[in-house]
Amino acid sequence: MKIAARLLWLAAAIFALTAPLFLERGPLNDLWNLAFAVILASAWNLLGGFAGQVSLGYSAFIGIGAYTTVLLSLKDWNPFVTLPLGALIAAIFSVIIGLPAFRLRGPYFTIATIGVAEAIRVTASTVEFTGGSSGLRMPADTFDFNANYFAMIGLAVVTVVIAAWVKRSAFGRALAAIRQDIEAAEAVGVNSTRFKLAAHALSAALVAIAGGLYAINFQYISPASVFDFRLSLSIVLMPIIGGVGTIAGPIFGALIVSTLQIKLLSIPALRDSFLFVYGGLLIVVMLFEPQGFVGLGRRIGRLVHA
Amino acid sequence: MLEVRQLSKRFGGLLALSSVDFDVNEGDVFGIIGPNGAGKTTLFSCLVGALRPTAGQVRFRGERIDRLTNPAVVKRGIVRTHQIVRPFRAMSVAENVAVAAYFGAGRRRGADAERRVREILERTSLADVAQAPAGTLTIGQLKRLEIARALATEPRVICLDEVMGGLNPSEIVGAMALIRTIRDSGVTVLMIEHHVHAVVGVSNRILVLNFGEKIAEGTPRDVLRDPAVVAAYLGDATPALEED
Repeated sequence: MKIAARLLWLAAAIFALTAPLFLERGPLNDLWNLAFAVILASAWNLLGGFAGQVSLGYSAFIGIGAYTTVLLSLKDWNPFVTLPLGALIAAIFSVIIGLPAFRLRGPYFTIATIGVAEAIRVTASTVEFTGGSSGLRMPADTFDFNANYFAMIGLAVVTVVIAAWVKRSAFGRALAAIRQDIEAAEAVGVNSTRFKLAAHALSAALVAIAGGLYAINFQYISPASVFDFRLSLSIVLMPIIGGVGTIAGPIFGALIVSTLQIKLLSIPALRDSFLFVYGGLLIVVMLFEPQGFVGLGRRIGRLVHA
Repeated sequence: MLEVRQLSKRFGGLLALSSVDFDVNEGDVFGIIGPNGAGKTTLFSCLVGALRPTAGQVRFRGERIDRLTNPAVVKRGIVRTHQIVRPFRAMSVAENVAVAAYFGAGRRRGADAERRVREILERTSLADVAQAPAGTLTIGQLKRLEIARALATEPRVICLDEVMGGLNPSEIVGAMALIRTIRDSGVTVLMIEHHVHAVVGVSNRILVLNFGEKIAEGTPRDVLRDPAVVAAYLGDATPALEED
């Protein structure tokens, strides 16, 4: 069973990485979108799922990555070289936010993250060097579809592998202990602040790289696109719908949410309904299967075996 | 080994600990008794850094530890259990203990940590339920899991907070035997306990707290005869002393 599941994931990764050989631009774009969603969801899950620290401010890291890439590309940097720098800036920023915010517990932490992300969005719309609310355009000739496609798929694979490794490691056990009972974790020697900061920084870095690739792909960014609160919201929805704290959950969640979004956006009458649909899905998950689709799958598995 | 000087803890208008002084020597089983609300658990919380004392000092092997965080104190070798058990409910019993082996004073990893976990599960009679989710254990097993997790941090001093509460008489006998084996393995024991018989049975020194103040300290025999202790805590239920 375990081996079969692993082979399936391997097959999915190989399929995505070889898809440009036999697929058209349209479906490749869908796959690119899916990979973007998988990165956001899996990276958020490192902190939100494993350590139970629900942040609603992850658009901040997408934006930091995106703006770093565009601003440096405008100074004639190779866009791909800017990605690690965006990751580093986002990681440092996550520590600066985390130091005060991790002193807060539960919903208070979540509210603080909304505040920080909104403050950044407003700042980016006001100050001059980010181009204000009209945003920034990438320099011409910086887009190569294949390079961007492989980078995004590759990053998705790397993110999932990192998540799987973290979950099994001592680091992951510390995060699980923090989620389940932070005081008991501290009582057996787990430095909760340090591990929360580490998980936050790791996920912020991954999300920022994805943000940089987003900027390269769309060639234009603005506070309304990369610092959008709705983006933060859907980042949280994906792991929760798929199965929070698991490896497969954020992937399924990303698949469900990005498919829905593509379908809904293509029907003009339903264009603005996607938050309504997500809200409904969220309520259904919370009420009937808090472990999301992964939990549902396990439940069906048990029924079949019984 | 552990020196507590003028230790005070204030919660708003309540003085939970008031200038408490005592010393614990290496190899002691140091009992702490007193009525509910006397400040016993607060004392443990201050010793391990879960609470910051309002005033006073705690020294461990000469080093001041009263400004350290709880994990930092654990890494120096002092650990506490919780009176109201706090297992990581979604983890198995073995995983619960493994977290402590990873992040305690031993900082063990991999096979070394696994070996240590198995040893401790044997010692605390939890080997049979090693793979069970901690949320499914009985209260007696959960109390032992608290001890197992604390032991897995490889402490020099273990602070046991009412590990016998809620246990039946035969489980209490087992718990007393376990505490003796912990002492014999070279770990100094501090224990808060309401079962006076049990404390007297295993301790060589006893501290009595009442309303946050130390009202007596000494050998079990002397302490139980102290009129202040009888008045404050034991009342008419003064146990007949058993010869050991």
